[in-house]
Amino acid sequence: MSRPVRRPPLGVVLVALVMLALGETAGAAMSRLKPEIQRYAAGRVATNAGAHGFSGSAEYDDEVRDRAIFTAEAGLSFFHLHGEGVGLVLFFASALVAAIVPGRRARVVLYLLLTLGGLFPLGYLVYGAAVLEMGRDAGIELAERWILTPLGVAAIAGLVGLWLAMARRRA
Amino acid sequence: MTEADSATWRVPPRWVLLVAVLSIVAAEVGGGSMARFKVELTRWARDGMLARPSVHGLVGVRDVDERILDEALVKFDAGLRLFHMHAEGMGLVIIATSMVAATVIPNAAARRTIIALLTAGGAGYPVGYLVWSALIPSHGLERSKTIAEWLVWVPFGTATIVALWCLAGFVAWAMISRRRA
Repeated sequence: MSRPVRRPPLGVVLVALVMLALGETAGAAMSRLKPEIQRYAAGRVATNAGAHGFSGSAEYDDEVRDRAIFTAEAGLSFFHLHGEGVGLVLFFASALVAAIVPGRRARVVLYLLLTLGGLFPLGYLVYGAAVLEMGRDAGIELAERWILTPLGVAAIAGLVGLWLAMARRRA
Repeated sequence: MTEADSATWRVPPRWVLLVAVLSIVAAEVGGGSMARFKVELTRWARDGMLARPSVHGLVGVRDVDERILDEALVKFDAGLRLFHMHAEGMGLVIIATSMVAATVIPNAAARRTIIALLTAGGAGYPVGYLVWSALIPSHGLERSKTIAEWLVWVPFGTATIVALWCLAGFVAWAMISRRRA
């Protein structure tokens, strides 16, 4: 007969659910509010013309503006995709931690790492916003260095830790 | 200690799991079919478009028409790919979220409603991409998108989004209640 399976703390479940819900909502917004989002992005680029290196040449400026808007939209699209995917990864990985990892301290460390990793998709929201506010290259650099990389490393460390805990248990 | 406070999972109803697994199976079959029958599917869509030139704005000039057909075929293919991707993902979303709902929501009516919305929304939404693709040859790009949007994406997508945020609210409420207790 199978025994009851332990679940992760509700805080971890909540982060996974909120990521899924944000991912879904961003997908719907991308589809229903595309013109509004593009208009907003164009407005922000115009406001931060200096950061985008506008030269005064209409042809060049249009190309820079289009590229910045495209990158901001890509950020939203990545957020939708990663919100759904990472939300599920956090959910199932933390469910495995709860069910399989024996030590309480080890479980807490893994929950912490996985939950931080679960916040990884938010980096893409920052990515999209920072591109509009700071210019394309500076915005991408900021999001990658300060948000996507640390949170991504946390997710990888959590998953590697889970793998090690499972391998150790089996040995 | 109530059931909602329990530190173990509760399994969602079997029909929910069956729907979720069926969604994943359909996604796998869709992905396999896209690869195996790519030529046949493209030919079917192209023939359908050529049979309705006015719907697609075909003018009889090869250079112009080929560009229009290519664009529509890219969208036709994208619809099938998005069905494959979303049905796989939403199948997993149904399993994960319905398990949380079964475990955390103490009120039976609320639990049943949230699980039903999550399951119907999660399984129905990806079908919109199939509807979109299937309608492109007969209704054109924009009209097929509008039909899929109002017939499938808006109702089923809204069901999922509303249910997910409500579920997040229930989980937050369960956390607060446990702190108070």
